[in-house]
Amino acid sequence: MADFVSRISVVCFAASYGVALAFEVTRLWFRSGVRGATMVGFVTAGLLAQTLYLVWRAATVTALPLSSAFDWYLLAAWMLAAGSLWMTLANPRTPVGLFVLPVVLGLIGAAELSSREPFPQSPATQIWGIIHGSFNLAMSVAIVLGGLAGSMWLIQAGRLARKQAPLQGFRMPSLEKLSLWSSRMAIIAAWTGGSGFLSGMVLNAVNRQRGLLETVPWNDPVVLRMGMLVVWLIAAAIISRAVVRQASGRRITAVLSLISLCLLTASILWGVFGKTRHGMPPQSSSSRLVIPARRGDA
Amino acid sequence: MSLTFVGGSHRTVPIELRERLAFSADQAAEALARFRRQFPGSEAVLLSTCNRVELYAAAEQQQGPPPPDELALFLAECRGVDPTSAGQVLGGDQGPAAVKHLFCVAAGLDSMVLGEPQIVAQVKQAWQIAQQSGTTGPLTGELFQAALRAAKRVASETAVGRERLSIPSVAVADFASGVFERFDDKRVLLIGAGKMAAETLRYLRDAGARDVHVVNRTAGRAEQLAQRLGGTARPYKDLATELIAADLIVSTTGATEPVVTLEAFLAIEPQRQGRPLVVLDLAVPRDFDPRIGKQAGVWLYSVDDLGQACEANRQRRQREMPAALTIVDEETRRFMGDLHHRSTVPVIEQLRAGWNETGEAELDRLFRKLPDLDDAARDEIRRAFDRYAAKMLHPPMASLRSESHAGPPHGLLDALRRLFDLKE
Repeated sequence: MADFVSRISVVCFAASYGVALAFEVTRLWFRSGVRGATMVGFVTAGLLAQTLYLVWRAATVTALPLSSAFDWYLLAAWMLAAGSLWMTLANPRTPVGLFVLPVVLGLIGAAELSSREPFPQSPATQIWGIIHGSFNLAMSVAIVLGGLAGSMWLIQAGRLARKQAPLQGFRMPSLEKLSLWSSRMAIIAAWTGGSGFLSGMVLNAVNRQRGLLETVPWNDPVVLRMGMLVVWLIAAAIISRAVVRQASGRRITAVLSLISLCLLTASILWGVFGKTRHGMPPQSSSSRLVIPARRGDA
Repeated sequence: MSLTFVGGSHRTVPIELRERLAFSADQAAEALARFRRQFPGSEAVLLSTCNRVELYAAAEQQQGPPPPDELALFLAECRGVDPTSAGQVLGGDQGPAAVKHLFCVAAGLDSMVLGEPQIVAQVKQAWQIAQQSGTTGPLTGELFQAALRAAKRVASETAVGRERLSIPSVAVADFASGVFERFDDKRVLLIGAGKMAAETLRYLRDAGARDVHVVNRTAGRAEQLAQRLGGTARPYKDLATELIAADLIVSTTGATEPVVTLEAFLAIEPQRQGRPLVVLDLAVPRDFDPRIGKQAGVWLYSVDDLGQACEANRQRRQREMPAALTIVDEETRRFMGDLHHRSTVPVIEQLRAGWNETGEAELDRLFRKLPDLDDAARDEIRRAFDRYAAKMLHPPMASLRSESHAGPPHGLLDALRRLFDLKE
């Protein structure tokens, strides 16, 4: 069993999601009784493979899901794939996969381009590291879901404004439901983004105070882009609340959610291709540093 | 063993004559009882709907059921219609063409509204009436079962009956449901008492709408309509208040000028506090100024808008026709193959009986020569004989089945009769 699990690679579940996406795309052209079941089967297989892969990494590489950029992206992709599966089962006539699976594949791609080295940790800062990573993960998932709901809202509103009947196989949820989703996600993203940024500051302060790990400077690109993103998310949430009683409020919320998704995408690309000291081991080695060791090295 | 049908539909028979040829359920039962007396040995099913009258007949005897012209005469006599005028418009067919026609009818491919689902229930009802009248048999039984199977396949494997075609159903399912997730917490306002109001409300009720308010210039009609539709009547002077409170409006007045102008709407719009509004303006001329539809949060649909969506749906259904006809062809071939194979059953039975008879005689002779055999040994030998007979019969039976797909296997049957000295 262990041998089988160790042979699962990123390509395995990325391919499963890719095939599921291809099946989902075909719903735009023709009807098929077995397509839905096949698509769900591939997403389930991908999700299972990804779960085993993450468990295997946690067990053998001492890389808990949030302990490296690679694992962080994979966990975000896993959460979205699980959400996509659940939403597809709950709304089989809605092409959920068409929207969510490209993001899942994008996150897996970002993971592949990111460092697999675990972030440096010490026992004193580990808990703050987990809190910081978890909040940022929740923020990203909320932004993605809100952005997708917003884009679906705009597509559905466009169809209704053009007075066209829904396309076969491309039936969107109602504006009411999508609007609720995007406004809720905007608030969740603002709260979790703010909390993630604050917990990152605490983590940095603890490191500086105790001299445990190298601190991240304020002008670090990651700190700057995350700070800007959080400011935007809070502003977007406030604007969404303010326009809720306006006739165009729902459209504004949808557009804001979509902008948040674009900013997150830009932020991820910046993180993948830009230079940063965030989450990096210190430049000068210190005897007090505690770099997680591979289990086999112990 | 053959099948025949005669009849006419909206395509071939003018409505005046169709009305005279139509059968109620009781009249259909009477006609079938008469058919049984007039054509003993034939099976029959009479399908009579608003758009068609068709009589399907079948017989296992060699002479077959009555020919189409005789059936047409029978239909005309049953309804007291001049046989000449009926004969001019009623048409018929036999064999595979008759089977294919019934399959198309059951699948809604020959209906006035392509793919309409009610026809399946009507075909089932026609079959039940014939069964109660004692005019069904194994042939019509299999034929109608196969027809329902074909209809089910067409419905599930194509989108021929999927798209909505009526304006109220499109208005609710394709547009109002695109805006609102649920209707049980929405306030519905009916303005006017036009003929489409009740039907639209029926779809809204199916979707969960409960809170219905009716406004009409004539208070009495509003009360009457509200009572009939299970809503609350409101005085016409409260129209502005109702517009503020409503989430969905169905307007069907006979007014010649817009009932709600842009200015009137803009005056009440701030009080709506940004709630989305769906307006189904089903009146001609329109009750709502079309510029209201340009306002944020307002989704206004006129009869023309909805009619265009219906037409697009109709075209989509039409595009599914080739796929549906392919299914009908497959099912027709399958049914005809099974039907032809049925004609081989007497020969196969004779063949099997002959082999069994010879086998039993040989076994008796063998057991008499070997009296010391115990029961277990006798059973084993008997089973070996049975297996041998089954294996020897398998090739001719497989050939018959295979030949049946192309048509009645008369040649093979004659050969078998001559080779094994079987009786006709």
